Amino acid sequence: MANIAAQRIKREFKEVIKSEEVAKCAIKLELLNDSYTELKGEIAGPPDTPYEGGNFVLEIRVPETYPFNPPKVRFITKIWHPNISSVTGAICLDILKDQWAAAMTLRTVLLSLQALLSAAEPDDPQDAVVARQYKENLEMFKLTAKHWTNVYAGGPFVNSDCDDKIKRLIDMGIEEHQARVALSSYNWVLERATEQLFS
Amino acid sequence: MADYFGEMGWTPLEDGQAPDHFLHFARLLRDFNMFDELNAMNGAKLAPPASKSAVEALPDESVTAKDSQCPVCLKEHVQGETAKKLPCGHLYHNDCILPWLSKTNSCPLCRHELPTDDEDYEAWRKEKKRAKEREIDIENLHNSMFS
Repeated sequence: MANIAAQRIKREFKEVIKSEEVAKCAIKLELLNDSYTELKGEIAGPPDTPYEGGNFVLEIRVPETYPFNPPKVRFITKIWHPNISSVTGAICLDILKDQWAAAMTLRTVLLSLQALLSAAEPDDPQDAVVARQYKENLEMFKLTAKHWTNVYAGGPFVNSDCDDKIKRLIDMGIEEHQARVALSSYNWVLERATEQLFS
Repeated sequence: MADYFGEMGWTPLEDGQAPDHFLHFARLLRDFNMFDELNAMNGAKLAPPASKSAVEALPDESVTAKDSQCPVCLKEHVQGETAKKLPCGHLYHNDCILPWLSKTNSCPLCRHELPTDDEDYEAWRKEKKRAKEREIDIENLHNSMFS
């Protein structure tokens, strides 16, 4: 790995550790190998959003050409958000693509992702199904996102109605996550989700 | 009076010739800025590199400020060392800013844009600037009429 990339990550790592966001437990950064190419990030769901109380784990890969090219980041924790794929965790955020600048750091990337959780851009979607729900039925979107936060990110809001419907599908032999995706995609209408799963 | 086709830069159809629908469709897309949208959707459109002459013209400056840091490598500047100064006033190590400017034309810190060698991009930028000025002009006109 190019020297500048490794050296910079080292410096950034120190910066993040000292930052006030870490002190407030809002973001976290961990090294996964000695060559500073793979890291694990963690962001707390922002308050007053459906993600509140959840902890979201990110995979960060630093390219050899860093900081001239952006780090590759995706969500490991499953999340229901218009700009994040509910399947792969791929993120649609301009600064991770064409709006990257060499002065940005892992700290600013994590904070930008946290900001993305508070302010979705449904007109520039990564996940079309989620984005459509966000635009057509915001309350349903919030409910679904809260439920996913509860199940996958340790959020506090238990929704027994969602859990019951998933249980019904599990009893029919459907795998849990698959059941959750189908119900989430069809606004938690059990009949339509069942129809889609068995068609 | 110049003839209509000449003025539009078009050639009239010969007898029996059919219009080129693809060409018309492409013009339609162009006139409604659809190509820009397509580019925006692809996402990976980074602004072109800074022009060679602009990069060569960047002044070297010796660093005097204490505790200043090169925003690219994040190392502290040593007092008295030379650094490149961008028009926006931000200082970078030579080895740090040159690779960046050979990729794209803006200051990594504030996005201040340097000129590029890319004619299309420059034309687009000019157009964008003009559009903004037009908006301000109209706003001023309205304000002067109704105040």
